[in-house]
This record gives sequence, C-alpha cells and structure tokens, in this order.
Amino acid sequence: MGIDHAIGFGAAASPTGLIIGILCGLIPLVLGLRKRFVRPALLGFAACVFGGAAAGIWGGALMIVLTTAVVISYAYVDRQDPFTSRASIDQVSFEETRFDFFIRQMAALGRSTRAATRALVRNKAGFIGFLGLLFFFLMIVFGPLFIEYDGESHMERRRPGASSLYQGPTREFPLGLDWAGRDVLSHVVYGGKNLILVSAEAGLLTTIVAVALGSLAGLLGGVVDQVFSALSNFILTVPSFPLLLVLASVITFDNMTYLALLFAALYWPTLMRAVRAQVFSLRERDYVQAAIALDLGMFHIIFREVLPNMISYIVVNMIFTIRSAMYNLVGLVFLGMVPIQEPDWGVMIYFGRAKGAIFNPNAASMLISPIIAIALFQLFLVLFTRSLEEIFNPRLRQGL
Amino acid sequence: MSQPLVELRHVDRSFKQGRVMIPVLQDINLTVAPNEILCLVGESGCGKTTTGKIIVGLLSQSAGDVLYQGRPVGEFRGKERSAYRRALQIVHQDPFASLNSAHTIGQILSYPLKRHKMVHSRAELRRRIWELLTLVDLTPPGDVVNKFPHQLSGGQRQRVSIARALTVEPKLIVADEAVSMVDVSIRVSLLKMMHRLRDQLNLAIVFITHDLALAKYFAWEGRIGVMYLGRMVELGPTPDVIVNPAHPYTRALISAIPEADPELTRRKERMILRSEDIPSLTEIPAGCAFHPRCPFFVPGLCDSRVPPLADAEGFRHQVACLPLTQGDALREYGDAFREEQS
Ligand SMILES: Nc1ncnc2c1ncn2[C@@H]1O[C@H](COP(=O)(O)OP(=O)(O)O)[C@@H](O)[C@H]1O
Ligand SMILES: [Mg+2]
Repeated sequence: MGIDHAIGFGAAASPTGLIIGILCGLIPLVLGLRKRFVRPALLGFAACVFGGAAAGIWGGALMIVLTTAVVISYAYVDRQDPFTSRASIDQVSFEETRFDFFIRQMAALGRSTRAATRALVRNKAGFIGFLGLLFFFLMIVFGPLFIEYDGESHMERRRPGASSLYQGPTREFPLGLDWAGRDVLSHVVYGGKNLILVSAEAGLLTTIVAVALGSLAGLLGGVVDQVFSALSNFILTVPSFPLLLVLASVITFDNMTYLALLFAALYWPTLMRAVRAQVFSLRERDYVQAAIALDLGMFHIIFREVLPNMISYIVVNMIFTIRSAMYNLVGLVFLGMVPIQEPDWGVMIYFGRAKGAIFNPNAASMLISPIIAIALFQLFLVLFTRSLEEIFNPRLRQGL
Repeated sequence: MSQPLVELRHVDRSFKQGRVMIPVLQDINLTVAPNEILCLVGESGCGKTTTGKIIVGLLSQSAGDVLYQGRPVGEFRGKERSAYRRALQIVHQDPFASLNSAHTIGQILSYPLKRHKMVHSRAELRRRIWELLTLVDLTPPGDVVNKFPHQLSGGQRQRVSIARALTVEPKLIVADEAVSMVDVSIRVSLLKMMHRLRDQLNLAIVFITHDLALAKYFAWEGRIGVMYLGRMVELGPTPDVIVNPAHPYTRALISAIPEADPELTRRKERMILRSEDIPSLTEIPAGCAFHPRCPFFVPGLCDSRVPPLADAEGFRHQVACLPLTQGDALREYGDAFREEQS
C-alpha cells in the first residue's frame, strides 16, 4: 500500500528520516531567522524534523512546503502587490516576475495554513481529539524505537505455581503478559497500525464511491438518479454486518484491501444518499445558476462550486465511516472470520476469549488494554471531527 | 427599432407540482432591445423571476419561442451557444446566496475571465479584476479582492455579483429584485451605478421588482411591463404607464404608491378592489384573471374570454383588458348594477 509510506506508517521512524528532517528544517529556519521571525522559524524547523523523522522524505517535503509558506506569509507583507496600493490603475504595474508570483502564492498558502491551525486550536474538543490522534501516531511510529515486538512465547516467564502464563501488570511489563507470556504493551504498540490503516482505507473507499455516485445522481438526475437510488435502497435493506460476516467466511482475505473494498461495497448507500440530497439543494443555489449563465462548465461546477461546500460534511462523514469500519473489522476478527494476523488489537481480544482470559483475573489487563486502545482511538476520532468542521468551513475559518 | 436582443413569443411555462401542472407563465410576448431598460413589476409569485430566467436561458419554456438576435435559442450549438449564454447575465435577489462562500472575491471574478480567455496573462487578469471592482464602485479594490463573501455587506456583495456578470461582457443583465434585500440607504447608489453601467457598457437591463415606485424611478427612460398571475397585463413606456395607467390592476398599484408628501398621500384616491385575495395559480379564474377583483368587471365579457395584450383607444401603450381594447370606457361594476335596479 502506498499511503502508509506517505503518512509515515510504512517504516517506523529511522535515523535517516531524522537527518532528512533536519535538512528539510534548515529551509524555514534560515529563511525565518534572516527575516527575524524567530518563532515561525523554530516551529517550522521542529515540524520539519518531526515530519522527516516520522515519514522520511514525504513527511519532510510536505512540512518544508507548509512551514516555508508560513514563514513567507510572515516575511512577505504583500511586497509589490498592486492591490495593496491606493494608487489609481494607471499608476500601478500589474507585471510581476515568476518569482514574485511564486512568493505571493506561497504567502497565500501560508495564510491558509495559519488559519487552519488556528481553527484547529480554537475548538477545545477538536484539539483534544487531535492531540489524542497525534499520541496514537507517535506511539505507532516512534514506539518501535523504544519497545521491541515480543512475538515468541516465553515459557520461562511462568510464575511458580501459576496455572497459566497470564500475568497482571508488573514493573517490567506495565500491561502484563498474555497467554503465551508475551509483553502486552508491545502488542498494544504494534497492533494498531494495520487495523487503523485498513479502517482508513475502507472509510476512504466508501467515501469515494458514495461521493462519486451521489454527485452523479444529484447533478444528472433522471434515470441515473433512479438507478443509483434503487440500488442504494436495495443495499440499505440488507443487514450489512451479517452479510459481511457471511461473505468474509466464504471468501478468504489474504489481502485486507479486499476486505476494505467489501466494506465499501456494503456501506456506501447512507453517505451517497446524503451527498445526493446536498447536491440537489446546492445545484439550485444562485451561485450555481450564475456559473451556468457564465458558462463555466460542468467540471467547474462540480469541483469549484458544489464540492467545496460539502467538503466539511464529507470529511466528517468519512471519519464516522472509518469509525464504523473499525468496529466491523474488530467484530470480524473477534468472531475469527478473517485470517488471524498478529499483532492486532482485534486479534488480542480474539485470543483473550479463545485462550480463557475471561476466566482468569490475571488476564484482565491483557483483555482490557486493546479494548481501551480501540475505544480511545474512536473517541479521539469523533472529537477531532469538531475541529475538521471548523477547518473546512470558510465561514468559521475566517480568512486572514 | 433595431433588431431586438431577446424576444419571447407566446411563451408558456408550467411547473409540475405533485401530479398537477401549475401554469406559472402564460402567453408572454416581450422584446428587449439593445441598451434598453425594461422593468417587470407585479406582486410576488406572479412569475417575474421565471420570466427573467427564461430571458437569460436558465429555464426553458414549456411552449412558445425564445429568440436571441432573431434566432431561436435552441439552434445555438458549441461556440455560438457559449456566446449566447454569456451575452445574457442575471443578478439574483439574495446577496447572501448569490456568491459561493468558498472563494475569495478575486477568485470569483477570475474564473470566468480565465475560462473564456478574456485575458491573456496574469498581469492582464489582475488588471481586469481591478478594473471591474472599480467599475462597480468597490474601491480601493485591494480592500475586497482577498476577502470572502461573508466578510462583505449585502450591498457590497450585490456589487460583486454585478462585477461577476460583467466579466463576460454581456449585452443584457437581468436584475432580479437586485436591490430589494439591501439597505434602503444603499439602494439609490446601486441604482445609479446600474444606470451608469448601462450607458458606459451599452447594456440592456431587465429590472425586476415588486415595487412600482422603484420601477418608476429606475425605468423612467424605458418601459414597464406589469404582470398579474403569469400574464402581462400592461406594457409600455414608463411615463405613459405611470401617468396614464390603463389596466385596472395597474391603476390599483399606482394608487397604492405612497407619495413623499403625506398630505398628498392622504388626498390620493385609493382604488377599492372587490376582493383583496390573489387567486392561487392552481385555480386561475376563467377569462381575465383579474376579473374577480376588478371594480370595472363586465359580466359576460370579462369572465368569458382571455384578453390579449393590444392597443387601446386613448392610450399610447398596450393593455390586456377587453372593455378597453374594444373601445369602451371602464364603468364601475357596482354603479352599473345600481342603474339596472332603478
Ligand atoms: N422550480 C419551480 N418548481 C415549482 N414551482 C416553481 C418553480 N419556480 C417557481 N415556481 C412557482 O412559480 C410561481 C412564480 O414564481 P416566481 O417566478 O419566482 O415569482 P416572482 O419572482 O414574481 O415572485 C410561484 O408560485 C412559484 O411557487
Ligand atoms: Mg422573484
């Protein structure tokens, strides 16, 4: 999968990444310090180092662009922009070099980044959600640097007289040991990555299908709309989880992407209907009518007029879909319907049940740890949507 | 007269509501000449907006013909169609709904300029945006160009809407209640600006309003069309229609305009209608749709035949009223009744 590398999930943090990050960070650092904007320069440097270390070249590159843009937005106070002058039209020159244009665009990007950051911080609940998700990200990406994955069973850890290898928390193993005497903490640290990625993939696929079909149905109407609506009605009447269960037991998923696809195939109708309704109402808006009269074309109307006004709605719904995908996945794993692959939070619960943890007081922490991890992750996701709403809503965001 | 820019011939329009078709427009005949001001007045719901949308081609007619520069608009294809589209622009009533809140003012103006290659370089694009903003009195342009619509006042947004319409150098702008939702203090300057733009850019303006006083002010050099329940009941040069109204409905509207002088308003004779209720579009009265309210109703005539828009004796403009167009004078319905009794 390509996306896990891009967001830093591919490889755990590495020293090479750290060096890349430091090199990347030099750009905003030097630029900011030369222009005497110390805080943006230092923050930019830190962000680049973090991005580079977490995700290597991709993270570093992304952070360079964003942080440099922010620094430029401070340093470039509308230099030579005719629109800032009070002169009359004959007195100003609209010619500008490519470099000036680039700087102006970067400054605009920097302003949006700052506005988005402010929107993120402003909403308390959303910010807590963001910090929580960041914590999980750090745990998954940087955790492996400190904690080794404990995959072998350890008979030697059995306590004298104990009936099983299960152990409660101790100083050496803060979350105890599981049925094979393995460190539960290491499983918590390593077990989230796959689950989160597959859920995110499922959520993304569902959203893409739903938005594509919903916009088509809403904009074209007529037969297309009727066909899609009938199909969505049909799928909605089928109980999804039992069907998923049956299908999952019939098909063997060696690749979890297929499972994400299956999820998308069953869960697109709800969001599709919402998108369709939104498009129906948006296309009657006066500004869409104006765009038709101005002959701006279908492409413009979809991507510039309609979608930007739904993006906050779509993103929030995608988060909720990711959430429900995760529950479904864990459910399937718990019932043993998909190939068991360790480490995985869902698999931990599955083995907890299968290996008698429910009847063993010493196994409590082994059973509860993945449950708490899943519940917390879901909670942070939901909290984070609050901030997303503000970030994507231009009315709430307040341009600079 | 030169060739009309837009012409509507016997245009009908109906909308499906549930299982019934509602006739919103019936037999509308209208021409708009280049650089002309035409005002459409009438109570809300009488089909003004629908007419405006049909004029600019945002709605299609259910029956009849719409012609642009003498050719049916259905004929246009490809480049011609695009040019026809762009020649006719509309400015909507609600300044809060007419601009997309996702884009800055600069972006809103740049999309049509870029799409239709009205400019050839970035410098030219920015120069043109500056020009357009100045043209609609949004000065200095730097103050608005990077703002989002929600950061502007209603009047300013309406100016942006007009500037957006001007990006494609149209020949006609339909202003649909364009000033009715902005502060009264700003209205006059907006109206003056539209007058100036019409002279400067050789525009025709179709000005839609429910306010006859506003129509009188704005279209004094142009024409007024009075609409009632989806039909044109009177059409002619503004001074004629205002000073010497023919149709009883127009007379009622004019008698309801308050004068600046309260004394004058009090002395003004108000026309008493037989009924204040406007019939619904689903049950339009037979014959002249106005007959149940008309004080000059002639039984047997007005309720049997739909009056066509025609010349009437003693008037220099057209009216849709059977007694008038047949050369009779209007007599009050009640009086006529009393004479019969005695
Ligand atoms: N898209 C539509 N679907 C159904 N009815 C409509 C539609 N547009 C307008 N109408 C109806 O047509 C009538 C005239 O509307 P409109 O032209 O907006 O009137 P006005 O602008 O004079 O107030 C109204 O009764 C309205 O309900
Ligand atoms: Mg209207």
